Amino acid sequence: MSPDSQQDFALAFLSILFEGLPFILLGTLISGFIDVYLPAGTMDRFLPKNKFFAILVAGLMGAVFPVCECAVVPVIRRLVKKGLPVSCALTYMLAAPIVNPITALSTWKAFQGQGAEMMTSSRLLLGFLIAAGVGLIVSKLPLSAVLKSQLVESLKNESEAEASHQHGKSCCDHSHEHDHHSHEEPAPDHRLTAALRSALRDFIDVAVYFSIGVSITALFNTGIAPGAEWLDSLAKNPTAAPAALMGLAFVLSLCSTSDAFIAATLAKFSWGAKLAFLTFGPMMDVKLLFLYQTVLRKRFIFLLAIGLFFAIGGISIFWQQLVFQAK
Amino acid sequence: MKSKTRLILFSLAVLGWSGVLLYFYSSGRINHYLAPDFRLIAFAGGLGLAVLGLFNLLTAGQKIDCCHDHANEDDTHDHDGGDMHPVTAVLLMIVPVALSVAWTRDEYSVAALGRKGLYAAPPSTLSPFLAASIPALTMADIEKSHRMTSDGFLEFSLMELFFSSADREMQALLEGLKVETEGRWIDEKVRNADGSRKRLYRLFITCCAADSQVIPIVLEFGKMPPDFPENAWVKVSGTMHFLLEEGAIQPVLVVNRAVAAEPPFEESFMRKKRF
Repeated sequence: MSPDSQQDFALAFLSILFEGLPFILLGTLISGFIDVYLPAGTMDRFLPKNKFFAILVAGLMGAVFPVCECAVVPVIRRLVKKGLPVSCALTYMLAAPIVNPITALSTWKAFQGQGAEMMTSSRLLLGFLIAAGVGLIVSKLPLSAVLKSQLVESLKNESEAEASHQHGKSCCDHSHEHDHHSHEEPAPDHRLTAALRSALRDFIDVAVYFSIGVSITALFNTGIAPGAEWLDSLAKNPTAAPAALMGLAFVLSLCSTSDAFIAATLAKFSWGAKLAFLTFGPMMDVKLLFLYQTVLRKRFIFLLAIGLFFAIGGISIFWQQLVFQAK
Repeated sequence: MKSKTRLILFSLAVLGWSGVLLYFYSSGRINHYLAPDFRLIAFAGGLGLAVLGLFNLLTAGQKIDCCHDHANEDDTHDHDGGDMHPVTAVLLMIVPVALSVAWTRDEYSVAALGRKGLYAAPPSTLSPFLAASIPALTMADIEKSHRMTSDGFLEFSLMELFFSSADREMQALLEGLKVETEGRWIDEKVRNADGSRKRLYRLFITCCAADSQVIPIVLEFGKMPPDFPENAWVKVSGTMHFLLEEGAIQPVLVVNRAVAAEPPFEESFMRKKRF
């Protein structure tokens, strides 16, 4: 890298890092405190009995229990094991990283002067609709088509054990069993330590990917990366631009609390392409591909990725035309 | 790796990031990187990271319960494990930041400025946001909202002059007007066969330097321009014209006087702030 390229990379890298870091910290602190202070099963109790409404409410639960996409996979794994319907769990998993106050705040902040209100509300709405749609489809599928076989076996064993030791009550097809296996609650000062330790761990997990993502973005932003010109050449193509940015979101694997700061720098791309980037990324990227495999079948993940790509791409293109025709 | 060692390593990485953030804020260098709205947030983030890192560093030896159940044996939920080896994770965090701190000169090279619009054609239409940021449309309003120098030049921001190329009303008012503005001095690389032109630019930052856009105007001297270092801050006075060049209306300042100027406190034009 030439000295000029080094200087350009450094300026772009540090500026995006400084801008996004506080929001990642806020997200991971909240996630750490939820991890420690929120009793298991709390989320379960918020869901209505009707399956359809339960899926819709699950799509909005991120507003109450905000977690980013890195933190949400272990959470839903635990929730599914505790009896949360898979359709609700997947809806929450896809929606929570987008439909939550931290992501809304960071998107609004990042897009100041670029239609912040429109972008924020569109992102939240599209994220919710896509997640609820996936939840409704999953509710029609057998568990074995969605979940890893080990997890299905584990659920079967649990339900058999539950049947022989039944004292939970049914609600929305899931049980509210008492928790026989919890550790004793630690002293309050230990809980604070546990919360901040959890926040540190989450922060590191996210910061590593953020650092990689910002590095790649800085290389493209300043024209250093090979392919930057090619990516730019797609910017004005109404179909290729959302596809290219969804591909970029997949590769960058950014956290939903900070990806808006990257999207806002993609000045050559259309509003709709940025919306696709901001909706697809938190639902499907390289790191999620690995994380999802701890819960979901590979075939289901593949179909989910294809479905999300076409659904989000299609709606973003349509939305772009609708918004600009309306103007 | 032992849990305590991992915690110490992670805490030190977080403290490293915190140190960089707090240093750039306290030294004022952050002005080159972030718009004003984001600077205090970045400072709070730096402090927050310091608290998180220090707390975990000081309590690294403390053993704690995890507060929730691990009912199933195949629940591999690991409190300490991340996606990758801790040393790899810390290196991926620290190396790009350390290299960037070592490499940065708090400004872009000419090549990057070119990519951000230094030699691009001026806009032909205004976005609603930019239209809203250009307030005056009558000469009386212009004279009221712009200070006049002792030798009769109206002080304008470079941004106003640049975006007036897309505003016919503004163009009509500014054509032939004596104005003074300031910006950074750089060579004119297009339409400058006789070498009588230079370019004056500033960076317009929406949120951070990565999303910045170069705002340039052309300076016409009619003879060899004076000699200033590249990127030096210069105050220029002259008469404003809008010339049709290669199909685009180009704001051109025919310069009477150009003098070296002190760099302003703010590197860039900021939202809600005028020259």
